[in-house]
This record gives sequence, C-alpha cells and structure tokens, in this order.
Amino acid sequence: MSEGIVALIRQGAPTPCAGRFVLEAEAWQAMIAGLSAADLPLLGLWSDGVQVHALFHHDPMPLVASVVVSSGGYPALSPVRVGARAPERIIHDLWGIPAIRGRCDPWLDQGRWPVASPLAAHPAPTPGLPEGREFIDDAAVRQAGGTVLGYGPAEGNFRAPFHLRLGLPGARIEAVQPCMGYAHRGVAARLRGLAPQQAARLVARIDAPATVAHQLAFARALHNATGTVMPAQDVAAGVMLGAMERIATHLDVLAQASAIVGDGRSATLAASMLEQMRQICRNICGRRLLFDVIPPAAAFLMNVDGTQLATLAAQHALLHRLFWRPRGLAAQARGKGVLSATMAARLGIMGCNARAAQKGQGDVTDRLEARLGEIGASLSLLAAPPESAVMEVEGGGGEGLGWAEGPAGPVWHWLRLEAGHVAAWWCGEPSLAQVQALPAILSGAAYEDVDLIVVSLGLSATGADL
Amino acid sequence: MAQLHMFWPDGTALPRLEALDIFHIESGGCTGCALELASLSRALLAGNHPIRFVPTPRQAGMLLLTGSLTVGMAPVVELAWQAMPGPRVLAVVGDCAVDGGLFGGNYAVLGGVGVRARSNVSLPGCPPAPDEILAALVRWQAAEGKR
Repeated sequence: MSEGIVALIRQGAPTPCAGRFVLEAEAWQAMIAGLSAADLPLLGLWSDGVQVHALFHHDPMPLVASVVVSSGGYPALSPVRVGARAPERIIHDLWGIPAIRGRCDPWLDQGRWPVASPLAAHPAPTPGLPEGREFIDDAAVRQAGGTVLGYGPAEGNFRAPFHLRLGLPGARIEAVQPCMGYAHRGVAARLRGLAPQQAARLVARIDAPATVAHQLAFARALHNATGTVMPAQDVAAGVMLGAMERIATHLDVLAQASAIVGDGRSATLAASMLEQMRQICRNICGRRLLFDVIPPAAAFLMNVDGTQLATLAAQHALLHRLFWRPRGLAAQARGKGVLSATMAARLGIMGCNARAAQKGQGDVTDRLEARLGEIGASLSLLAAPPESAVMEVEGGGGEGLGWAEGPAGPVWHWLRLEAGHVAAWWCGEPSLAQVQALPAILSGAAYEDVDLIVVSLGLSATGADL
Repeated sequence: MAQLHMFWPDGTALPRLEALDIFHIESGGCTGCALELASLSRALLAGNHPIRFVPTPRQAGMLLLTGSLTVGMAPVVELAWQAMPGPRVLAVVGDCAVDGGLFGGNYAVLGGVGVRARSNVSLPGCPPAPDEILAALVRWQAAEGKR
C-alpha cells in the first residue's frame, strides 16, 4: 500500500530538492486518505509560508510531499499521523497557517510573544497574556479529583526548560500535558538572510548534546543545495566526530540516570569517562563540546590515542558490569517509562530509543542498555575508522535536504538558498516526537520516576522548541 | 590544597572554598554551558566540596543563569529570584547569559540577563570550561571575603 502512496507523491511536480514533489490539493487529499492504511512513517512537517512540506521515511531516499497553502490553510495530516499534531500547531504558531481538521491551539507561543505569526510576511502585534496560557485539565483528572503536580521548567538541573502538568488521581500519573516554548529562540527567523557560514555557527548551537549531528546534517543539506560534493576528509571527520559526540552524550545520560537512582559507583565512573572524552575532544578539536567542527579545519588530526581508547574500553566493560549487577541501574529502572515499538513507529521515533523498543519492551533499562551498546560500538569505530568516500550530491538547484544520526535519533535539515543566503530553513529533531510520546510513556509512572524517564529518552527541549 | 580529581588526567588544584548553594536555571540557550556546569557539579559533589547546586531556589544564595533569556523563561527567573531567601547574588555564565551572544533579542528572546540586571559574577565564553567557571566563583568568593 505504501508503494501506491510513494507513486502518488512522485507524480507531483518535481522541485530543485531531490525527493521533493509538489502535489495538487486533490493529490494531497488522496495521499492523506491512503496514508491511513500505508506504512510510511512521517518524520517531519513544516512550512515556508507558501507551501507545507511533509517528510516521509522511505528507502533508499526520503520523500517530501508539498502542497500549496490555500487561504483556508491545508488539510491536516494529524488524523492519519499522530506525529503531525505538534508540527501542525507549530506551523500555526509561527506562520498563522491553520491545519484543516487539525488542532490550532498554541504549542510554542504560550501567550507571551509580542507578535502573532512571527515568521509571516506581516506579523501582527499582539498584547499577549500577562499570566500566560491557562491549563485545561483532562476529564480523568477532574473526575478523580486528584493531585496535579508540575515538572519543570526550573528544577535546578542542567537541562533545557519545559513544563509537564501531571495529573495523579491516585499514586500513578494518569494525565500528562506538556507545555513547550520556554526554550524557543526563533532559530528559523534568525537564519533567514544569513550567509551559510554564519548560519552554520548558529546551527551548531541549536542543541549542544547533538551539535555534531546538526552541523553535519546542515552541511549535507548545504552541499545538496549548492551541488558541491562533500570531500572525503569532511565525511570521515563527520563519522569520527559523530562517534565522539555519541559516546559523550550517552555517558552524560548514564551518569545522570545513575545519580538519580543513587548508584554512586556507576555515576562516578560514567562522569569520569565523560571527562576523558571531553579532554579527547579538546585535544583533537580545541573544543570540549565540538562546536564549529564541521567542516573540519585542515589541521584536525582525526586520530584518537590508542592508550586513551583502551582505557575507555576497559572502563566501558566495567560500566557494563555495574549496570547489570544485582540492584544495579538496570534492575532499578526495569519496567519504568515504557515506549513500545508500536508507539515509536506511530510517532516516527527513530534512533536508539526506537532500537531499544524493538529489542526489548522499551523501558528505561532497554534504552540505557542501547546507549551502553552504542558507546561500545562507537569506541570500536574510533579505534578502526572506516574508509570514507566523497558524499554524492542529490539535487543542486538551491534547495537541499540533509540528515545525520544524532545521539537521540536522526536530525534533519532542509534549506533553500537565494542569492547565496538562507531564504528558508527547517530542522527536524527527534525530541519533538519524544515530547508527543510523553503522555503515553509517563502514563502509569510514579512522579518520582519522571526525571529518570525524561533523562533516559535524551529529550532536549531546546531541540524540540528551536 | 584540594584537588578536583574528576578533571582527568591531572585534576585541578583548588583553594579553600566557602560554602555556597547555587540554583541554576537554563533560561534559553543550547545547554552547552549547562553541560559544563553539570561536569563541575559532579566534580564538586565527588570531592565533597562545599559549593553545591541545589534543586530549589528557597535554599540558594546564588542564582546562576545560563543561556539567553526567552520571553517564556523571564517570569520563571523572576519567581526563582523572589523565592530566594536573604542576601542573594546573581551569576551569569556564558556569552548568551552575559550579553545574548548569538541569541540576541527577537520576538521570543529578551537577550542576555547580564545587560539587563546587575550581576555579581559574569563569565563570558561559548561555553566556558568547568575549571574556568569554578575559577570565576572562587575569585568572586575571594573578593567578597576581602570586603
């Protein structure tokens, strides 16, 4: 069935961006009708003010279906793809474009922006709501008359701000309302009109734990837009730096999770390994956090010292043993925060969280185990770097799409260049799908476990909000 | 002289530290500075040092901000500041918190708190390393001690 939808999309008008086709309104409607029975995961939905674009996962090449926005908006995808709910609300927040038969209540704008539809051609000033948006409690919470607890946006931790309103009619969480937008910085508005080099500096600072993935995806999109091949040296640097970033971010997650459950030995070991990794990054790139490393400077020597790698590998083996020991982190996190494979597929969640869900039941233990496994694989990759070839160009007509595997899942960048400057840009981050999955993941959890579950997902509000 | 051993491989020498409870808020950046603060927090905790990061502003003496201030976080920061007891000080760490950095004012961002409020500790950098953050805190403590 999905092949029929793919064929329908490919019948649309081709564009300068490889894999993107503009559909007539009727074809878009037919696509929505067909999607309900098709296995074609939605990875992203965005607008450039004139068209709305939907990115689908399809081998061997991703597929983008676009439709021109009419005066009444565009037919919503959310009735057939639940992962489209948040992007549709974001498109309405940023552009004022409604999704027909979709929700249009705010996702990012909590009533404090001084303008409505800030990315539209003529944003209208708005007085805003001094007290912000009010929550409307779920019927289950109202009827049960239970406790309502908040989580975030300021918990004294070291993560980006977001808020969860949690309804606990009894001992367990039943209703979850995410409130996003605290970390929204208007990155899309900032990038418009910038030269690619200036834009790359900003892109590197979208989300620090996944900065290499963002830089790499942006660089690939830029190469595709300009029709220039990415040199083999840059491709090799991307693989190595991506592995270093993955190790560091996974260790950070494991250190946080261990500290939350009170496993001091694991927490100290993971934190110590993390510091070693940051020192390695500084020795190679001059930066502990790998900002502004793509494209790599000519002086970069992408070789990690074998002794350091051997030390890390030995510590990784010890961390693995500590993880699985009786009453260790694995035992304490078992059964908490289940993200099922079905839910992951429905929301377009990919990366290590989806792999964990496919391998086991998808709880916190499975996710942390997946991260431990990826640390080992990345250390092996650093010890024996693969041969890299130039990245072939797809497209080249001033518009490009690129992706890279980040620590929490694939990161997508799309951009359109006009006169050598960024005219439109979009970023797809795994965190947005994770936020949408939170009500299902946290349902039935104890309030005390919320922190652990959020940490295990690698959820980054700064990536979700942009 | 104490050592901060988790900063591999040599550790960082520490002078005598005074007790300080810090409440940290990431007010809208890339979380790079927050990651470095997390490294510092773990090292201080592992070494039983008297500077610590606390989970509530009600027991904090210092409010430490990282990231540019978004319009959504402005009331949150204000509430945290008002909830802090007694004499309190403000620290801004990283380019974004000091002057906005790459994330200056727009419809969603007010800019750096460092240019809007008087801060006691101001440390630029994108991001500053944990030992630089600690050195700034120690310098401030030493300057306060001389008064």
